[in-house]
Amino acid sequence: MEIAAKVGEVIEASTSEFVAQCYQLHEPPPLGSLVKTKNAPGETYGIVYHAETHSLEPGRRPIARGEEVKEEEEIFRNNPQLAKLLCTDFRALVVGYGEGNRFFHYLPPRPARIHSFVYLCSMDEARNFARSLNFLSLLIEANLAVPVDEIVAASLRHFSQAYDDQQAFLVKAGKELALLLSGELKRLNSILRRLK
Amino acid sequence: MSLDLAQIAIQIDSMAAKLQASEEERKQKLDFALNTLRSQSANLASLKRKIETGKTTWLVAGIEDKLDAHYPAPPSPEDFIVLATDGSHIDVDRHRSARCFVINIGIVRLNYGQTPSAFLSSLPMLHFKEEDVVLSSTTGSQQETIEGSLLGVKRSVEECHLLAELAKEVEANLPTVALLDGSLVLWGLAGQVYPAFVADALLENGLLKHLEELRQLSKGRQLALASYISFPRSTEVVNVLRLALCPYEPVDCDRYCASKTKERDCDNVAGLLDRELFEQLLTEGECSALFSSHSSIVKEHYREHQIYFFYVKTAGELVRVEVPQWVAEGRRLLDITHTIILDQCRRGQGYPVALSEAHEKAVITAADRDQFWQLVERSLARQDRMVKSSAKAKSKRMRWI
Amino acid sequence: MTSQDSVNEGRLGIVVSGSLTKGVEVRLDSSTSVEDMVVGRYVTIEGEKRRFFGMITDVSLEATDPKVAVTPPDISDPLIAEVIAGTTTYGKLHVSPYLTIGSDAVSIVEGPQPVKTVPAHFSAVKLASQRDVELVFGSEDEKQFYIGTPLDMETKVCLNVSEFVKRSNGVFGKSGTGKTFLTRLLLIGILQKQAAVSLVFDMHNEYGWEGRDERGHKVKGLKQLFPSRVAIFSLDEESSRRRKVNTDFVVKIGYDEIEPEDVGLLRQTLSLTEASTQAVYQLAREFGQRRWLGSLLSMDDGEETKGLIAKLNIHESTYRNLRRGLEKLRRFPFLIAQAPDNSVQRILDYLERGINVILEFGGYEDYAAYILVANMLSRRIHAQYQEKMEKAMGDYTARPRALVITIEEAHRFLNPELSEQTIFGTIAREMRKYNVTLLVIDQRPSGIDDDIMSQIGTKITCLLDNERDVDSVLAGMTGRNELKAVLSKLETKQQALIFGHAVPMPVVIKTREYGSAASYKEFASLVSAERRQESEKDDLWAE
Repeated sequence: MEIAAKVGEVIEASTSEFVAQCYQLHEPPPLGSLVKTKNAPGETYGIVYHAETHSLEPGRRPIARGEEVKEEEEIFRNNPQLAKLLCTDFRALVVGYGEGNRFFHYLPPRPARIHSFVYLCSMDEARNFARSLNFLSLLIEANLAVPVDEIVAASLRHFSQAYDDQQAFLVKAGKELALLLSGELKRLNSILRRLK
Repeated sequence: MSLDLAQIAIQIDSMAAKLQASEEERKQKLDFALNTLRSQSANLASLKRKIETGKTTWLVAGIEDKLDAHYPAPPSPEDFIVLATDGSHIDVDRHRSARCFVINIGIVRLNYGQTPSAFLSSLPMLHFKEEDVVLSSTTGSQQETIEGSLLGVKRSVEECHLLAELAKEVEANLPTVALLDGSLVLWGLAGQVYPAFVADALLENGLLKHLEELRQLSKGRQLALASYISFPRSTEVVNVLRLALCPYEPVDCDRYCASKTKERDCDNVAGLLDRELFEQLLTEGECSALFSSHSSIVKEHYREHQIYFFYVKTAGELVRVEVPQWVAEGRRLLDITHTIILDQCRRGQGYPVALSEAHEKAVITAADRDQFWQLVERSLARQDRMVKSSAKAKSKRMRWI
Repeated sequence: MTSQDSVNEGRLGIVVSGSLTKGVEVRLDSSTSVEDMVVGRYVTIEGEKRRFFGMITDVSLEATDPKVAVTPPDISDPLIAEVIAGTTTYGKLHVSPYLTIGSDAVSIVEGPQPVKTVPAHFSAVKLASQRDVELVFGSEDEKQFYIGTPLDMETKVCLNVSEFVKRSNGVFGKSGTGKTFLTRLLLIGILQKQAAVSLVFDMHNEYGWEGRDERGHKVKGLKQLFPSRVAIFSLDEESSRRRKVNTDFVVKIGYDEIEPEDVGLLRQTLSLTEASTQAVYQLAREFGQRRWLGSLLSMDDGEETKGLIAKLNIHESTYRNLRRGLEKLRRFPFLIAQAPDNSVQRILDYLERGINVILEFGGYEDYAAYILVANMLSRRIHAQYQEKMEKAMGDYTARPRALVITIEEAHRFLNPELSEQTIFGTIAREMRKYNVTLLVIDQRPSGIDDDIMSQIGTKITCLLDNERDVDSVLAGMTGRNELKAVLSKLETKQQALIFGHAVPMPVVIKTREYGSAASYKEFASLVSAERRQESEKDDLWAE
């Protein structure tokens, strides 16, 4: 049984999303993956929709250092302070919460807590969560900094890996999308094309 | 009345001509100085004597080596450690309800080589106890509050303190250079401005104590301490040339050149800075000969921690590096100081990266300062110290409530 | 399985809109392929309170977004194709519900009821099961004759023969679509269930002894299948002999049997003018009903004749026209001056004994002979029936057996012009007043008087491609637009749409097999079973 891996810590939280800083530079959970954070009495689930690596201090920007260097890892080896000056954050859109074995595909009553750990859900957990595709309606209507359709497709691609018959899951999800996007054929098409 | 540009134009023209002329003049002076340096280079013993016996109003460097010596950078070790500290402070504010100050020291350790790693931190310290904010003589009869420039000195001492603490924690088997920003010479204490007990507190029981700790640590391992001065304005080596040019022996400025209008031989090089000289003399990566500081404070107080210095031409600029005696005496230590400083400047876009990161960690912004005082006021208000503050502060505090 | 699951199992789709008068629209589930849906098939609709039984009358393609038609999605990508099917694009059925079956008390007691309401929104729609079809169309028994199977099903569709013979009926269809086979089946059905006795005017010699199928193979006629129950009368002895047909009687008709009314019918075929037909009446008045024709044909062109026609106010040209026309009749060998026997009486004898009579026309394939003989004989038989029926008022046992007269090319007898004049128009209109009904076979039903068509109780229609023919067959039917679609999609052979009194609701059937040894055995065996039953019954009474 896979155990969820700890990937970061919440540094901002609201009803609809939370931001977490990663423990490992450049290692955020993949776009569209399902993450969770403790939110007593259960856990809040989110879908990663954005990740960013940037300088810890607002005024300081990274500069190119590798002109003379053959490999990129050398830059970090030659300047060990860099890893301490940069950080990677990711943003997750809240798509539900869970208590025990039950999942609720609507917004939880309270936002996540600052400094709570964020875990990347195992494939088993993702499959259980995705038994109902209701979370798609939350995702489709979200107002995000990145194109929503990309995230919908990324998350479906991610979830499909939890199933032996990936195609069957994608078809099921596709049909759900067809219903949700019944007046928006172009949008449906563009998402479906990204499901490969 | 509008500006009469026509008249001004003429004046501007003559200014430009003058500047150009002074530029020309400067260039000539520099050429002459270089020639002098080269020609005087071998006269080590006689120059030394002249320096010993001379009485000048300006500071002259002690010489140990040929004046025009220049050394290329030795190869850098594979694995080495760089330590650095830098500080900033929040000065005492007379209008506040509490007399206190904050010293914030940025601490950096960078490991290079097989196992690169970095440690970046800062340590803020609030000083409020009587014995911390005021220096007293042994009898207690004299007191000196620590604020303003004295606080700056205290801060420098703390920087060295934490550098020593940092050095204690790193592995002893790798070549290590510990860097400070600014001068090892506590200029703030020079010139008899403060009574002796101040020098005692800050030097004897302060800087020198920590220098000694570092010296002890460096026994049996390659640990060097150096301070880095960017854009140095010192003239100590140019002054050696002035001395060399002086026709009198022993040299005595008061005696022979009291009159301000007299033209002096040494004027041919006066006004130049050491860095201008070495800028021309050294190629990139080279360091100059080693010199010693003859400042009174060093001579009187620093004892076995006499301060030496040399100049290094980094890719970006001409830099002054000061080292304590025990570093100057060790060839190996000087080498690693020279080469690692160059390495740090390369990695740091012209300034040693360890120092710039330490500086970033130490910085206190205006917003930080304001927030600090707010916290202090709020905390004190809770503790109900309103009674002892000044009326002015009271009115200020009233606004808070 | 929950009740909801059992409702949903095997379902095609759900009802999304519709009305009682126009039928309901069914949105197909994504798992149902629109190409599997066939117009004419039966479906059941599981309403909230009752089950509905209906027929698919149209299939269409729909989309939730009209842009699909303008910029179709890329279905070469299997994912997109699978997702779109049934969601953005979906199939739709138009279903005409006809009956409610099962569930409520009335239906259980009285069987399927005509529909009076519509199923609720989103009721599940399924293909009708065998059991449902059986419930609606019944199974074979003493009144129900198995006539064919519904589309894509093995269930037997049965015709209620006793209802069938209560009215005149019609078999319609383009030539070559299988009317003859259907008619044979219907005749067998009537024969087997003893619902009536048949008199068939067999213009092309197909029903009596044997016929041919479209490939030219021989198929058995009624006499071969039921030797003791069928008699073959022939108008053309020579032809019958050549074809090795066992005739029971050769029909000859004497001049004295032709009446003026019979001539009126032949006006077109004999190219007679109006005046000529009027002249016949005058001649009959002059010479008598029985002698006018003989006299006319023996008249010469002399002065006597001229004087006569002048006396009767018959114009010279009219006389010529009449003479010429009636001469044609002479060509018929069966028409002789004096018939040796009374054919009408003979026929009536057989019919009375319950034996079906099939009159073959042999080589006389021209319409004149057919129209003359069929009309003439039928008129006389009908007159007899009328007499008998009037005499037997009140006394049921004295009534003559119910008679069904089968005529082909019905539009020649029953077109608006002639329907007043032929006996068949009368028979059709009087609706079995005298225990006589018609079975009309025709390929141009638009030629038949609307009035007559409206009297036809049950219509069995094969493929018709003329719009006017389709309209005339469906005239007056509720939901005829839907049935039009069904009718136009019938296959060219072996399929028919039946609607009317003898079936509970319109049904598209694949006609029962006729022509194989197995089929013959089936027809024959039932008869023997009944005969056994009959003899058992007799024995019972004998004691």
